[in-house]
Amino acid sequence: MTQENYSVGQSQATSEGFFAQAFALIPGLLLLAVVGYAGKFIEQSIARYGKAHHLTLPNIEYVLWAILIGVIISNTIGVPRVFRAGVATYEFWLKVGIILMGARFVLADVLKLSGVSLLLVLVELLLALSFMTYLGRGFKLSPKLVSLLAVGSSVCGVSAIIATQGAIDADEEDSSVAIAAILLLGAISLVFFPLIGHALHMSDHAYGLWTGLAVDNTAEATAAGAIYSDAAGKFAVVAKTCRNALIGFVVLGYALYWSSKGQASTVTNKGAFLWQKFPKFVLGFLLLSLLVSVGLFNKTQVVALGNLSRWAFLLTFAGVGLRTSFRELGKQGLRPFLVGAIGEIAIAGITLGLVVIADRQFHL
Amino acid sequence: MPTNKRLLSLDGWAILLSLSLAALIRLGVLKAIPW
Repeated sequence: MTQENYSVGQSQATSEGFFAQAFALIPGLLLLAVVGYAGKFIEQSIARYGKAHHLTLPNIEYVLWAILIGVIISNTIGVPRVFRAGVATYEFWLKVGIILMGARFVLADVLKLSGVSLLLVLVELLLALSFMTYLGRGFKLSPKLVSLLAVGSSVCGVSAIIATQGAIDADEEDSSVAIAAILLLGAISLVFFPLIGHALHMSDHAYGLWTGLAVDNTAEATAAGAIYSDAAGKFAVVAKTCRNALIGFVVLGYALYWSSKGQASTVTNKGAFLWQKFPKFVLGFLLLSLLVSVGLFNKTQVVALGNLSRWAFLLTFAGVGLRTSFRELGKQGLRPFLVGAIGEIAIAGITLGLVVIADRQFHL
Repeated sequence: MPTNKRLLSLDGWAILLSLSLAALIRLGVLKAIPW
């Protein structure tokens, strides 16, 4: 075979592989769409029924219904193998939804909101890292598991844990225990955060900021905000994105700590390390916000972009429910979960206090 | 020669798709389904 023929054959094989992979996603994508749309249908049906019968029914956002349907499927019949690859794309749709959400913010507002959020995130980071480390040591968890739990609960859940696991050469078992604890607590927060928000009559801005600061995984933080209201979901995304943007610094800190003890590889180029860990989709969010701010899109087009963002989130929230298997999460042992739970409750309380203070100072 | 090396990261694909959709909306080719 000549070099040219070899290259053509290889590129055909690669493109066939690409199409086969893309084709394998279709069943799961359809399942995400059906579950997400079913949630939207239930929300609209309840609203229509209430209107037709002159009843004041509680407005439960489609987000909660979509997650609930997903959780029921996942924990009863389970998600069959044919759907799994497509369902796993929910994180991709989360990123697409966040980037497109950039169109719903004028850049000046993003910078103002990010300023307040960053200030609170820095305080939250310091308190959460110290508290989780202290708590983990008290419960005699392995030191690297303590690091993973501290990073997961202070920065941004699963992606931070995975990034840290590689950087500090932690065991995969420690990593999966930390991820399970964070995901289980995230699922629980979807129920309790909106209840607390309503009980305290929090504004959309204050509540969104709180969920963005306190709920660890980005998908759950966005969902917890959107369950409260569409506007709260927007603020939750900004606060959570600020937290995500700091992931590189925290992971770098832990990498340097463990390498100084001779228990992890040394970091040679700190700048490259920070860039590698930086969540690049944040740049897409800022770019779209900039393009809208300079008037590149008219009002109808901005509304269309906002709607696309909501459709992307609909797929995300369906995926959050479908990937939550309590049986799997429950296998990870009680102590890490207890440390996670105590830590999360404390962090939720502290961040609530921070938001209340910020609300008084900055009139959110 | 590695054939399975990813052309773009997940974030890269997300940015590419979002900006492409935004460009199609800007050009009037695509109208988002109403929410």
